[in-house]
Amino acid sequence: MLQLVWLIPVLPLIGFLAIGLFQKKFTGKSAGIIASATVFISFVISCGLFFQLSSAQTIDYFDWINVGSLKIPISFLIDPVSIVMLLIITGVGFLIHVYSIGYMGHDEGFARFFSYMNLFIFFMLILVMGSNYVLMFAGWEGVGLCSYLLIGFWFKNNNYNKAANKAFIMNRMGDLGFLLGIILIYVTFGSVRFSEVFSGAAKLPDNQPVIVAITMLLFIGAMGKSAQIPLYTWLPDAMAGPTPVSALIHAATMVTAGIYMVVRSNILYSIAPPTLEFITVIGTATAIFSATIALTQTDIKKVLAYSTVSQLGYMFVALGVGAYSTGLFHVTTHAFFKALLFLAAGSVIHAMSGEQDIRNMGGLKKKLPITHFVFLVGVLAISGIPPFAGFFSKDEILAMAGVQSKPLFILLAVTSVLTAVYMFRLYFMTFFGSFRGTHDQEHHLHESPSVMTMPLIVLAILSALGGFLGLPSVFSEHHLFKNYLSSSLTVPSSVIHSEPSHYFEWAMILVSIITLIILIAITYNRYVKKGYVTPLAEINFSKTFKTLYHKYYVDEIYEALIVKPLYWLSDMFYKVFDLKIIDGTVNSVNKGVNAASSTLRLMQTGNIGFYIFAMVVGVILMLIYNLYGK
Amino acid sequence: MNTLIILSAVGVLALFSEMLNFKKALGAIILLGLVGAFAADVMAWNTNRHYYNEMMVVDNFSVAFTGLLIVITFLWFIMSPDFFREPSSRIDHFALIIFALIGGQLMTSYNNMLMLFLGIEILSIPMFILAGSNKSDLKSNEAALKYFLMAAFATGFLLFGMALIYGATGSFQIQNITQFIKSQQGNIPVMLVAGILMMLVGLAFKVSAAPFHFWTPDVYTGSPTVITAFMSTVVKTAAFAGFFRLFSMCFESSSATWANTIWALSALTIIIGNVTAVYQTSFKRMLAYSSISHAGYMLMAILALNQYAQGSILFYATAYSISSITAFAVLLLVSHLAGNDSIESFNGLAKKNPLLAFATVLAMLSLAGIPPLAGFFAKYYIFTAALQQHYTGLVIIAVMGSLIGVYYYFRIIIALFKSENDDVVIPVNNTFKVFLVVTSVAALLLGIMPQLVAGIL
Amino acid sequence: MNHLIQQVPLHYYVLLSTMLFCIGVLGVLFRRNAIVIFMCIELMLNAVNLLLVAFSVYHGDAAGQIFVFFIMAVAAAEVAVGLAILMMIYRNTKSVDINFLDKLKW
Repeated sequence: MLQLVWLIPVLPLIGFLAIGLFQKKFTGKSAGIIASATVFISFVISCGLFFQLSSAQTIDYFDWINVGSLKIPISFLIDPVSIVMLLIITGVGFLIHVYSIGYMGHDEGFARFFSYMNLFIFFMLILVMGSNYVLMFAGWEGVGLCSYLLIGFWFKNNNYNKAANKAFIMNRMGDLGFLLGIILIYVTFGSVRFSEVFSGAAKLPDNQPVIVAITMLLFIGAMGKSAQIPLYTWLPDAMAGPTPVSALIHAATMVTAGIYMVVRSNILYSIAPPTLEFITVIGTATAIFSATIALTQTDIKKVLAYSTVSQLGYMFVALGVGAYSTGLFHVTTHAFFKALLFLAAGSVIHAMSGEQDIRNMGGLKKKLPITHFVFLVGVLAISGIPPFAGFFSKDEILAMAGVQSKPLFILLAVTSVLTAVYMFRLYFMTFFGSFRGTHDQEHHLHESPSVMTMPLIVLAILSALGGFLGLPSVFSEHHLFKNYLSSSLTVPSSVIHSEPSHYFEWAMILVSIITLIILIAITYNRYVKKGYVTPLAEINFSKTFKTLYHKYYVDEIYEALIVKPLYWLSDMFYKVFDLKIIDGTVNSVNKGVNAASSTLRLMQTGNIGFYIFAMVVGVILMLIYNLYGK
Repeated sequence: MNTLIILSAVGVLALFSEMLNFKKALGAIILLGLVGAFAADVMAWNTNRHYYNEMMVVDNFSVAFTGLLIVITFLWFIMSPDFFREPSSRIDHFALIIFALIGGQLMTSYNNMLMLFLGIEILSIPMFILAGSNKSDLKSNEAALKYFLMAAFATGFLLFGMALIYGATGSFQIQNITQFIKSQQGNIPVMLVAGILMMLVGLAFKVSAAPFHFWTPDVYTGSPTVITAFMSTVVKTAAFAGFFRLFSMCFESSSATWANTIWALSALTIIIGNVTAVYQTSFKRMLAYSSISHAGYMLMAILALNQYAQGSILFYATAYSISSITAFAVLLLVSHLAGNDSIESFNGLAKKNPLLAFATVLAMLSLAGIPPLAGFFAKYYIFTAALQQHYTGLVIIAVMGSLIGVYYYFRIIIALFKSENDDVVIPVNNTFKVFLVVTSVAALLLGIMPQLVAGIL
Repeated sequence: MNHLIQQVPLHYYVLLSTMLFCIGVLGVLFRRNAIVIFMCIELMLNAVNLLLVAFSVYHGDAAGQIFVFFIMAVAAAEVAVGLAILMMIYRNTKSVDINFLDKLKW
């Protein structure tokens, strides 16, 4: 199998080149079929690796850069961590490719779309397979580029272009941190190869300032790519791209690159406890902030986008408490259920002829039975209801966090509750009640073709059963996932080494199930029985408040104590944090450069006299400095 | 040496072609001559011989840079023929370009100040004429006069510097000066310091480093685009080769006297070039500012002067020239049809001609320094070389500058994909197609295997 | 002849030619007539020539004087081109004042 490893990234690259260069030759669906086939073969090879490989292997091909002491080979590191990522990328990627054949079927840029998708898969594979930081960075930049191309895929719409630009600028900020981190690694260890860096780091004691600096810089890169506070606002905007892109890039794979990078560098992070704490704080803050924002969004994809940001925060918390395998476990289950949710949402949007506002949906249960069913599976999985996949991974993160600190546990538990609320709100508003769209839309409603529903069903099965890869110790002694990964991961000495007690776990499972059932009941009551629909305009909003005032006592408390503050918080986070502070910073940097540019260019007066004057001043300054200044 | 002879023969032949009536064959003769010159150049690899009483030396540095100059000139000849306003004057243009190339070669291989001076002048005088070759266009006139006046002024400084160095060391020969500086053991006489600084002014002008860069945007904008393409690639590369050779081989051991100055020039050039480029509406003028900023990056290699500096400056010059000449080629075609060189005229190019758009995207990405294109490694090498000499502050400025650079290069890419109402297909002839494919492949190939060029020095 | 030149101390030559050079620079800076600017540049070059000759004599080395010939030849070629450019501009604008040339800016 090892001889075939190079094929894994090369096949999608060939797909990209073939489709990209001969776009016009590919008529009908052939481009989509070829693109899917390349990814599928890569997936088969990855499966082969999974079954045959027992230890980490580095495979060298040729030297990419070879100047003086700097040697950067093209070489791949195949170990459990990268195999897990390979399986996710090629497996989920393949399903999304197949789905896109249906979803993008009527688009004039069909072939172009698939060529970009294949290019993305190629770079993503390079990112996870590379055996040194520079190769990883090349993949990192590549996926950024593809994300940019795909967000702006429908480039006729100017808003889409703006979103693409924003994603690009924000990611650049993160990339700058990553690049500086790599340079610092090279300066410190004299190499950028994982094997050499990690063996060098293994000899170092905890809390070295330079290691803390390196890990911080790398994490800044991860913050950009994985949409953490404060670099997360690009992700919701990136929803402007086609839905399969959101599923593949902005949910299942690219945004988890930051997590992969931290897991890959776990040896460095384990000896830098301050960075781990920082990651925990950022992860928790992101998880809870974006969960509250998701409560009020009305665009189906935006809800899912904020939810993704929130789940990414969760994953970082797992990494922050040193539970690397748990983080990766959540990456896996999240890839299943979030891809499922996005694709199902795509199916809904497809059926609604492009409508994305859930206020105009409702009652789709009957018309889209398959989509409804798989969406429900996704919602159950993300809300953490046993035995669906999300339950196990989330439960494990909560348990690990609970061992480390109780306040952290409570914050995460609250987030988990919020997740259930907004997901069920989304679910009920979309599929229950009466249809609120136009007549044309209602007439046009149809279930998606089987090329789209088949991947959905496969993903639904994975979302339902994926959690059994990592049963908590209450149920089973063998945590398959953790055991598989254990050879490539370390455990930081700074965290508390103890498994949560069985008593604690049982309590947690029961409490979470009961809470969730209550919440679902409340949400059901509010959005289905009462048929509450978030008003279309904000003016109606306060009126709704007044009408609600005279209703049940429970409703009032619910409104006053939970809904109102949450709405307020959510609104504030969205308005102040998202729009003012973060967008404001991006915009003001932009404006600053523009202003400087328009001023500096006035120096170019066009007058030779002035030019010569500037030269003479330059000469005089140089002479004064060098002859008298020293 | 044979390269020089072949090139001179081609230049003279070009002058006579009108008289002897073989105008039609001239293009082929020149291209053949360039191939021959390139072959002769490659043959001289590793010979390290001196010529003309040691006034010229053909070492690997000069062979590599001369090779690069010839290749770029070759590319220029392939793309240019269709874009002269007066086809009748084509022959004069061709001859002048060949002579300028000879000047460029002298600048890469001088071993004596006199040769450096002659090289600069042989390169510059044809460029004055070419800059003004649109005789009826007032902008072209203005460009020529600005270029001429300021270049002559800068030459004055260069010569004054040479005279002072001669006074201090008693020789124009590079080795003698080097030995003299070494023998002083750090106590450099004031006259020599002043001489080095004056020469620095003259050369900084040639490579358009701020604050001696003011001529660049105006001259690049005013000159016919074909000529600007040549100026921003061949002339710039030659100037840097000369600059680097002088400071790395001759003044290296006195680096304490000029390092801070070059540091400041480099930082200022990067900032001014990048920031001013943002606001430009003309593609051509934007490229002019971008070429200023690239000069700033290349100055970093002169500052670093370690074992990586040679390879990195050669690679940078290669990556920059290839992407730059592609950009100018596309500009030529687009502005020819649109009638102006504004960025708007690139709108919707992706639909009008995908190949042109593709080549432009690659060129812009490479100039912006996005991996895996050549420009990324060019910047990477230079930054690493500077970092190894602990110029961290300058590298930070340079990284910031290149981030601004990404912003304006991407404006072009965005323009390419804007939808336009009139979907006219832009016709491109086959030679031009080959040219675009070759340069694009080169930009990619150098990004994938940078050691092909960077490793040879 | 050499003897005669050497009667004057070397730094006098350096001083003189630096002054001449500066006068040339100032002329280029303050004059607006392109022809006068040409002349000022010539003055700068001649200051260099003077310096080279003086050094040449003091070092007892002919290279400096040969350099002067090259400078003179090249300067002549340069001025020929320069005047041609100026002629072209005069034809188009009927003026040789460099202040009128600011079409290219910003």
